[in-house]
Amino acid sequence: MDELNLDTLLKSIQSSDDNERANARDRAGVVGAAAIAPLAKLAVEAENLEVARAANRAIQNIVYHAGRPGASAEAKAVTAELIALLGTKHAQFRRDVLWMIWQIGGEEAADPVARLLDDAETGDDARMCLERLPGARATELLRARLAAAPEAQRPAVAHSLRVRGAEVVGYPSQKLTPTKKTTVKPVGRE
Amino acid sequence: MTKKHVGVPRRTFLQKAGSMAAAGAALGAPQWIPRGALAAAGRPGANEKLTFGFIGVGGMGGGHLGGMVGRMKQGLVNIAAVCDIDDKRLENASRKAGPQADCYRDYRELLDRKDIDAVVIATPDHWHAVQTVHAAERGKHVYVEKPACCTIEEGKAMIEAARRAKIAVQVGSQGRSQPEAYLAHRYLVNGNIGKITQVDCFHYPSPVGGFNPDSDPPPELDWDLWLGPLRWRPFNRGYCHGVFRWLMESGGGQIRDRGAHVMSCAMWWMGADGTGPVEVEATGEAPKRGLWDSAVTISVKYTFKNPDWVLTWNQPGEPVPPEERTGKEPGGRISRPGYGAVYRGDKGTFVHWGGDGGTWAERKAREWEPGPGAVDVYRSPGHMEDWFEGIKTGKRTIMNVEAGVDVAILTVLGNLAFRLGRKLRWDHSKREIVGDEQAQRLAGRPQRYPYTL
Repeated sequence: MDELNLDTLLKSIQSSDDNERANARDRAGVVGAAAIAPLAKLAVEAENLEVARAANRAIQNIVYHAGRPGASAEAKAVTAELIALLGTKHAQFRRDVLWMIWQIGGEEAADPVARLLDDAETGDDARMCLERLPGARATELLRARLAAAPEAQRPAVAHSLRVRGAEVVGYPSQKLTPTKKTTVKPVGRE
Repeated sequence: MTKKHVGVPRRTFLQKAGSMAAAGAALGAPQWIPRGALAAAGRPGANEKLTFGFIGVGGMGGGHLGGMVGRMKQGLVNIAAVCDIDDKRLENASRKAGPQADCYRDYRELLDRKDIDAVVIATPDHWHAVQTVHAAERGKHVYVEKPACCTIEEGKAMIEAARRAKIAVQVGSQGRSQPEAYLAHRYLVNGNIGKITQVDCFHYPSPVGGFNPDSDPPPELDWDLWLGPLRWRPFNRGYCHGVFRWLMESGGGQIRDRGAHVMSCAMWWMGADGTGPVEVEATGEAPKRGLWDSAVTISVKYTFKNPDWVLTWNQPGEPVPPEERTGKEPGGRISRPGYGAVYRGDKGTFVHWGGDGGTWAERKAREWEPGPGAVDVYRSPGHMEDWFEGIKTGKRTIMNVEAGVDVAILTVLGNLAFRLGRKLRWDHSKREIVGDEQAQRLAGRPQRYPYTL
């Protein structure tokens, strides 16, 4: 595979040949934002697990490539494509997308990400993504969440705000509070 | 390379200890010091038995526990608790530790124990920093397996927490404490190969694997606690015991696992603790199939300035076959001498193999006899014993938290430069990546609450 474009990328990423598939995956960055939606379709629908995995990792490589210094237009285009994937029904893939958004997204990603905060499967991943997005909007949305979230979720939201340097009243950290018990007893103790 | 002592020479330590003992005698202090009589706050007295808890008792943790049980049987230490998220491993550890040791699944319950002075942390890599910080915040001294941290953010938090709590931390790069590491260090510091400008590490590739589908976790395993700070995902055997190190998130491949040994020796012997590279560049190849995503092959170049030298990590590089040995050398036998480093000076080269619990120095270093005026270097009494001294006296341990974090950061930067496909610039004075906003974000990562720094 000499020249990589959208068509050759998608063809090669579906190859049964490990070398061809991996080569396409590793060079996907140069194809950029245009490849994200079709790769996402493969990532969630491909019956061959290796093809799905290669497509997923190709998207990650696009995120890395577009995040390089001096490529802000590419980064915005990639972020827009990732935001468009937040509605996918596949929860684990949604998590992957949120994880990539905090690696590249700007302030424009904050509102779309925040709309997932109530999502039963990926709401906490959305909180973690907001924790790392740049700009004041993510802080505003986390503050709003702190006021509106179910009580059990508020300490986590408070933590995210503190990571961002925001002051939070109440909700002291629970990180040192034990929550799990074992049934294993000391062997040999009477 | 400038001739200098690195760390606290044992003879200096013993001289100081001797002076203190003499001062004590002059004041009529008893020879056997009662608990806490001469101990600083949070620091057990010199003759006090330390009490330990073990967090993570499979693999390396099981080995550390076994070693400590031996000391307990000699009446030197107490073992108060063992902890694991896998009940089978926990039960095995309980059998080994003895009936006096309580069993825990949640390490935070163990950290709440006031009677425990120190903890040995041998969990998967993604837990090292969080548990070290939490232990420090509970005032416990820490022995933590290498690599110290998975992200730069974690490493900085470990240093800050350890300094604030004034605890002794030993990172488990035990190569520094091996008998032949001392001989190698002494040989190099005395200029036997001249000024060293390049150190080339070699190591065989990381494996390809992780072909099982996701499944339910086994009943003995608390998958939520295994994941801890990592983002949630379904259980897969390819993530878990023994193989976590082949995933970037929870390990990072050979460069992190063994790099934390071989590069630890390099930083120690080059007198480079407390410094870092100015540039890091990497090339390599990720697995072509399977769940594991750590680079199979990877070559990293670390450029240091003032003094100028280059450190490279080469997986596989050009492995140097080990010398013939009798098995009676100080370093004994090592199982897989397929990794090590070549030191290149302006008067010759020097090779070592291993760099972890097994460390071999080239024959010429083993046979070198120091002449008049030769410089000596610190000789560790053993990695655990060096840590015990740190706990009791406050001296800096041989693989203290700063040194351990800085070596882990080398491995993190190598993997990051590989993943991003670009050269990274590094400001060691701030422990920050320079001029690359995305790389700066990737210097940390969100953690699942409440398993946070």
